[in-house]
Amino acid sequence: MRKSSSVTRTKRGRFAASVVGVIGTIALLAACSSGGGAGTTTSDEYTPPSKSLSANITYAVWDQTQVKAIDANLKEFNKEYPKIKVNVDVTPWGDYWTKRQTEASSNTLPDLFWLNGPNFQLYAGNGKVEPLTSVVKGGYITLSDYPKALVEMYSLNGTQYGVPKDFDTIGLWYNKAIFAEAGVEVPTDSWTWDDFQTAAATISKNLASKGIYGAAGGMDGQTTYYNTIFQAGGSVLSEDGKTSGYDSPATEKGIQFWTDLIASKGSPTMQQLTDTAADQWFVSGKLAMYIGGDWARSEIAASPIAKDVQVAPLPAGEKQATVIHGVSNVVAASSKNKQAAQALQVFLASKAAQQQQGDMGAVIPAFNGTQSAFAKSMPGVDLQVFLDELAYAVPLPISKNTAAWNAFEAALLPDAFSGARPVADVLKDLATQMNGALAKE
Amino acid sequence: MTSTAARAGVRRPSNSRAGRARGGSHAIVHIILAIGGLLMAFPFVWQIIMSLSTNTEVRSVVPTFWPAELQWQNYAVVFERLPFLSQLWTSTLITVIRTVAQIILCTMAGYAFARMRFFGRTALLAVVLSILLVPSQAYLISQYQIVQGFGWLNTVLGLVAPGLFSAFGTFLMRTAFVNMPAELEEAARIDGASPFQTFWLIMLPLAKPSISVLAITTVLFSWNELLWPLVVSTYANMMPLSAGLATLAGDVTVNYPVLMAASMLAMAPVLIIFIALQRRVIDGLASSGLK
Amino acid sequence: MSVASPRNRSTPPASGRRGGAAARNDGAWPWIFVLPLVGGVALFYLWPILQTAFFSFTTWGVFGGATWSGLDNYARLVTDPQLYQALGNTLIYTGIVLLGVPLAVWLASLLNTPGLRFAAFYRVLYFLPYVAMPTAIALVWRIIFNGDFGILNYVLSLVGITGPYWISTPGFALIAVSIVGLWSSLGFSMIILAAGLKNIPPELYEAAELDGASRSRQFRSVTVPLLSPSIFFVFIITTISSFQLFDLLYALLGSKNPVIPKTSSLVFYFYSQGFISNDKGYASAIAIFIFLLIGVVTIVQFRLQRRWVTND
Repeated sequence: MRKSSSVTRTKRGRFAASVVGVIGTIALLAACSSGGGAGTTTSDEYTPPSKSLSANITYAVWDQTQVKAIDANLKEFNKEYPKIKVNVDVTPWGDYWTKRQTEASSNTLPDLFWLNGPNFQLYAGNGKVEPLTSVVKGGYITLSDYPKALVEMYSLNGTQYGVPKDFDTIGLWYNKAIFAEAGVEVPTDSWTWDDFQTAAATISKNLASKGIYGAAGGMDGQTTYYNTIFQAGGSVLSEDGKTSGYDSPATEKGIQFWTDLIASKGSPTMQQLTDTAADQWFVSGKLAMYIGGDWARSEIAASPIAKDVQVAPLPAGEKQATVIHGVSNVVAASSKNKQAAQALQVFLASKAAQQQQGDMGAVIPAFNGTQSAFAKSMPGVDLQVFLDELAYAVPLPISKNTAAWNAFEAALLPDAFSGARPVADVLKDLATQMNGALAKE
Repeated sequence: MTSTAARAGVRRPSNSRAGRARGGSHAIVHIILAIGGLLMAFPFVWQIIMSLSTNTEVRSVVPTFWPAELQWQNYAVVFERLPFLSQLWTSTLITVIRTVAQIILCTMAGYAFARMRFFGRTALLAVVLSILLVPSQAYLISQYQIVQGFGWLNTVLGLVAPGLFSAFGTFLMRTAFVNMPAELEEAARIDGASPFQTFWLIMLPLAKPSISVLAITTVLFSWNELLWPLVVSTYANMMPLSAGLATLAGDVTVNYPVLMAASMLAMAPVLIIFIALQRRVIDGLASSGLK
Repeated sequence: MSVASPRNRSTPPASGRRGGAAARNDGAWPWIFVLPLVGGVALFYLWPILQTAFFSFTTWGVFGGATWSGLDNYARLVTDPQLYQALGNTLIYTGIVLLGVPLAVWLASLLNTPGLRFAAFYRVLYFLPYVAMPTAIALVWRIIFNGDFGILNYVLSLVGITGPYWISTPGFALIAVSIVGLWSSLGFSMIILAAGLKNIPPELYEAAELDGASRSRQFRSVTVPLLSPSIFFVFIITTISSFQLFDLLYALLGSKNPVIPKTSSLVFYFYSQGFISNDKGYASAIAIFIFLLIGVVTIVQFRLQRRWVTND
């Protein structure tokens, strides 16, 4: 091995030189290829493509249970456009955004895909989504046909990018049998926070021996604390979306609601809820009240407690409020089949397609007036409550990088709920961190 | 514990006359192995039970240990929801291609790193091994862009490409070759064999046990690989089984029993292969270990 | 130890500098053998690593467009408490999973008892966890670990211990993840060790027995030293793969678990910075950090192995 030293020196030198060269090349390439193309200027008015347009497009979704309804929609779509083949690409929720991000970095996003509130501004703000302007101008989609709060959610800087295809609101599911057993009056339309807290604590106390609780907290903002924050008159984000609303006293009240609930033993502890989710407690008959979305109905309907279930509006704080959110179909700005994709987008947003979605029971369709099938899908249960709540629904708080400050919420709020730290302190920290993240957007 | 271990770790000579002690110590060995085996297998037993229950039973807060009725139709639902057979085919195809490719590439490279001299051998080996040190998610976007640049999205080529090249496999084969006696090569050289002939005819057959190990690990890794196929395929029938299975887990509504049933169905082929290969490995080891 | 050197075929002393041929150059042959693999590795792995290294010095826009930011990311890295927490968690996890290596040695040697009936059956049982689909099996484990209704706590209660809320208490969550990690990696280690064990010729045990060595002495003097190359191999591979802990964490604890920020692993932290908080520049710096860390650990292990691994 005597030769090695001189050899290595030369080899090392050569290697180092080549590494530097490679890095230099990468630098050049990286500088040239910026991922986000500027938003394409669309022609002024959209005109539907000819019925004989032939294309292969991909439609990306994350929910297997909706595929049946989608296929039904597509069948109708193909009656109008027989030569447009649509491939439905289902990606599990946990990986959906990883895949979309990877695709977005190479501008290979699917022609049509589901976008939700929290991710909307990220994609739209970086020029990855095709604006809806031309379609709206041509009159093929009318914005007033859909819930206003959600339509606003999918517009950025005055440009509309999509319309909601469904919506979800949060209501109060409860178990009549448990209320009867505990000797407590069932919820009414005019319940206040105090009514709710008292009922929860009483039920938990009376039925402690059976391990039954009155209500449940949790870490999912959409189904728990966002609602109470809005009901207290507080906010999560300021109007302009630039500062956090967590340092306001009203918001503090909204968070305190859950701390009190857990402290009074009206709810299982945060640890118990992490191990076993609130809906599991409910469908197993161990929870009297479950604040949850309308989407829980299929699970509840199939459970042993189905016959004892009823729905009431959420209790009111300073005012009534509920969180509303819905998914939108958007066209990729980099799509090579824009015409076909837009045709599909328009079709899926039409009254007929939305009615079909509603009838098949997978979601609550967004188009006004198509929700009748949903309201009737659980006889005896007043699902209409979810629809009536539209009147005072507040959209899910979102910003350009929603996930970043969602992470802060998840890290800090559990201590507030469990009482490990004073609520005010936690919220101050949260507001500071959140403002830091928002400033970077 | 040492004594039991020692007792068990000792290979009794083949013409042993220790039969007297054998019965007793074997009983303890059996007990220990059985307890361990039970702990290993227990979650699977439960998984099978879950696959035959209803979603409510699975979700119920107090676990149900035996379903009211055996829901065999969960397995049928799997076939309805997924293009099971074409995904099975894709999985098999990917796995076979990868395994064959890795065996070829890694044995050749491993042999060269172990037994051949060339400039920069150690450094190159270190560089190759270093790729094991980076989390696989870090490669995701770069590899995607490369594969997309070649136009390999949604193709078998795109699915297998990065996995054809394994640093682990190279490491494994290198260590296998390193330990072989030099005399064989010397003899071959004297006989005038080219390096390739030496490799092909003499050294490679001796490495069979390690190749079996490489095959098993590659098969398993390929079979269960999830993120890459998920990102590279957008057509359900171009996805392997692992990715197809994952799509059954929705965001708010998960049908657990169906997921469990699908998982059992996906595990079955590999398990069968392992059971079959296992005997081969043992036989192979037994026959080649004593040359 | 003057036992005749056995032919350990599939068991590696990883730093083999043996192979005693005289310094000869095989000409172009080595390159022909090596190039396909190295070429592929260079394209699909080294290039991305170089890209990652480059990006670690930049601030990345979400979907591209990097601006040079020098050592900013690294400065942030060095003072990031979350990084150290992730590092600590990863080390604890790795430590616990490595405890499985001696366990695997023991079990593999038990399994190797000559004339053991059902050996093949046991082998399959122990290998089952390795074959499992991670997503599904993690769900089963969640149910087992459930604080209120899980089997584990039930069994513990039978001996008078009140089990904790495993997956929702910071310390215990890590232990739960480690247990599952240990459980699923045991089978793989046992296979490698089984191959190594088969290569120890029985003559050695005969000779030792004739010399009057007790069984435990045989284990210590014959089995372990001759198995040490395989043990080393298993050690290295287990360490490297434990440092990459990610899927298991996610699947077992669930994405909305409040415990996650305190229980995250290095790779998980990388993923959350890169794909959730969309700070790919910083994530790249984390990836490079992981790279260097595992590199150093591996080199240390290679150095140490000279002390206890017997190569012939």
